[in-house]
Amino acid sequence: MSAALNATTGAVTTTGRLRRWLLIGLAIAAALALAVWTTRDSEEWPDPLDPRNPGPDGAQALARVLEDQGVDVRIVRSADELESEDIDDDTTVVVTATSSLSPTTTDRLRRHAAPGRIVLVDPSHLVLQAYDDRITARAGSADGVVADCTGDTALGDLRLDVEQSTVFDDVPTGRETCFATADGDVLVSDADAGIVLFGAGDALTNEQVTRGDNAAVALRLLGRDTELVWYVPDPTDAEPDEAVTLSSLIPRWIQPGLFLAALAALALVLWRVRRLGPLSREPLPVVVRGVETAHSRGRMYRRSGDRGHAAAALRRAARADVAAHLRLDRRTPPLEVAEAAARHLGARLDDIAALLTDDQPPPANDHDLVRLAHELTRLRREVRRG
Amino acid sequence: MVISGRVPLLLLLGLPAVVLRPSAGTVWLWLLGVLLLVGLDLALTASPAAATLSRRQPGTVRLGDPATSGLVVGNPGTRTLRLHVRDAWQPSAGASDNRFRLTLRAGEDRRTTTPLLPRRRGDLRAAGVTVRSWGPLGLTGRQRTYDVPGTVRALPPFESRKHLPSRLARLRDLDGRAAVRVRGQGTEFDSLREYVRGDDVRSIDWRASARSPQVVVRTWQPERDRRVVVVLDTSRTSAGRVARTADDAAEDGMPRLDAAMDAALLLAALASRAGDRIDFLAGDRRVRARQRIAGARDVAARLQEQMADLEPVLAEADWDALAGGVQAFGRQRALVVILTALEPSAIEEGLLPVLPVLTHHHRVVLASVRDPELGRLATLGERPDADQAYAVAAAEHELDRRARMREVLSRLGVDVVDAEAAQLPPALADHYLHLKAQGLL
Repeated sequence: MSAALNATTGAVTTTGRLRRWLLIGLAIAAALALAVWTTRDSEEWPDPLDPRNPGPDGAQALARVLEDQGVDVRIVRSADELESEDIDDDTTVVVTATSSLSPTTTDRLRRHAAPGRIVLVDPSHLVLQAYDDRITARAGSADGVVADCTGDTALGDLRLDVEQSTVFDDVPTGRETCFATADGDVLVSDADAGIVLFGAGDALTNEQVTRGDNAAVALRLLGRDTELVWYVPDPTDAEPDEAVTLSSLIPRWIQPGLFLAALAALALVLWRVRRLGPLSREPLPVVVRGVETAHSRGRMYRRSGDRGHAAAALRRAARADVAAHLRLDRRTPPLEVAEAAARHLGARLDDIAALLTDDQPPPANDHDLVRLAHELTRLRREVRRG
Repeated sequence: MVISGRVPLLLLLGLPAVVLRPSAGTVWLWLLGVLLLVGLDLALTASPAAATLSRRQPGTVRLGDPATSGLVVGNPGTRTLRLHVRDAWQPSAGASDNRFRLTLRAGEDRRTTTPLLPRRRGDLRAAGVTVRSWGPLGLTGRQRTYDVPGTVRALPPFESRKHLPSRLARLRDLDGRAAVRVRGQGTEFDSLREYVRGDDVRSIDWRASARSPQVVVRTWQPERDRRVVVVLDTSRTSAGRVARTADDAAEDGMPRLDAAMDAALLLAALASRAGDRIDFLAGDRRVRARQRIAGARDVAARLQEQMADLEPVLAEADWDALAGGVQAFGRQRALVVILTALEPSAIEEGLLPVLPVLTHHHRVVLASVRDPELGRLATLGERPDADQAYAVAAAEHELDRRARMREVLSRLGVDVVDAEAAQLPPALADHYLHLKAQGLL
């Protein structure tokens, strides 16, 4: 009865423990899922100003707010996707990671997005050159700069508040400029070409979008039209020959210098390759191990499983040894040797005869042979000891 | 043509020029300049044939002793020669420091010496002399290898020499007393002398004592002027490598032939001191060496000379030919010592049929270098496995065949001396002394 009780309580405790572990496992899985879900976007799109990056330098907040304001935000991540988008004059195309634009993708962007308005955020040197090589860009500060646009861009007197920005100088006449600083303008708009250069990308980031009137500037800049195509260029869209080659980055003398070093290395090889006379040869002597035949005979016995021969050889050797120690003639019959040995050791004749005489059946397996060898060795040792 | 290390260095010196004017053209120009210099130097290089070479032979040394080979390099021409000479020998001659840089003015001779340390017995040969002649700028050279024959003969080391003094002492003991113990026909009457305490009373010459006031004993000297024929087997069984003693590994050992030579040398040295004549014969399929040594001087040295370039041959011995060689030394009764291996199969096939002829005319001793490895193989380990049991059986079988062979041989009247490599020379010498004491030669 008590045994049954114990068994029941044992079962209860086992189930309880199982449930506890199950709960702990579920909690861990839930925590993991939560962590993955919350960090998914930043993990997946870690680039600055990415509309899906929730990190400090991402622009997810701006994209969400634009969506809430009724703007149709569409994110495209390659030139092909961009070309499949339908772009009309009520569309704004914003490009944030302009450093990933290659000449061909810039070209494709301008051609396809021509009906709409293109906003280039922090345009790279290459992109700026492609647009207008007269404009120069340099690093500047736009801390508390008032819009004060020269044209009709509806920015009013909004204040831009970022620590670092790109400012544009030497802007040709006929372009509308906003946010004038001592070094240049932060925003350049070309209404004819439908291109806006915006140098204060930091104003769009999650971290700084709430400072000053940054949010208003961003919303007015990107939310003017009902549709917004957010283009994140893919550097792999570039043509193969547009990639920056290593040769343009290294000093010019490296290449001929390496060539000269290779020639020197070749000369080094030619110097070392010719040795002072041929190798001298040694006429080698024949080397034979003395006991090679005995070894191979042993292996031959083993392979053919010739236990009969092996056992006979072992017995014969033991007999000769015992006979020599008991001062018997070499030609004494086996049984007499066994008798003498039995007398000498005071052992039973049958046991000794079973070991020493040849009329036994051969060992049935290798194990028996090993045992026979072992016992014969022991017998010889005992006879020697007396 | 050879170039020196200065050429790559010269090329690398072009790097500053390339840094100053970074273009492929600079590299090509620099290369052209270097090539011009190299060509100029090559054109001015003297031919290595301008040097004369003559060798001073290193001669003969015992194995393990150093030797030197001299090479005289001469410049009979009118230009200065800058030479790099290598006197190459086969590796076992142990040539060290055999590269020389020489600058020879016109008409100058220079002697170089190459130290040698032979590591193998036999004739060790020079592999050729390479002469490299450098140009005046040291950028290029011309090189040729000439065959300048040279041989250093490494004699068997005769390590058993250390046993000789003790055996000679026992030989002196034999004089007089020992031979008296057995009044065999072989002992020779030497002289009469006064009895001293300790002499065997049986050696008292009563007849002479009657005529003199003192008791007189006869003294005997061991037989002299006997013949000892040493037959060295150089066939396949002599190639087997055996350990010197049971405790050594077989890899550190030596071929049976070398151990047999050691034993033969000790026996010959002892027998020549005892006044016997030595005939030496070595061979396998045919007779390789054969010498009668008439005088008693330097028997061991002359035998060493004979043995120096004997090598084991992978062929069965032709005992008919060898026995014929023994007989050709003369029909006088001799002690024939056959140094071979106690390998039952080899002996059954070749030696056994010719033994009766030899034993009919001579006293035959068969000396064999025993391989301690066989005895080791025949002992069962602490934890034997099947492989080992079979190996033990095979070794026991081999030992048994050897024991039978010994029986057969002794029935034919052949004495068998079977000992490990280090023990064979003294064992054979002792057997010789034993025979001598018994007057059985």
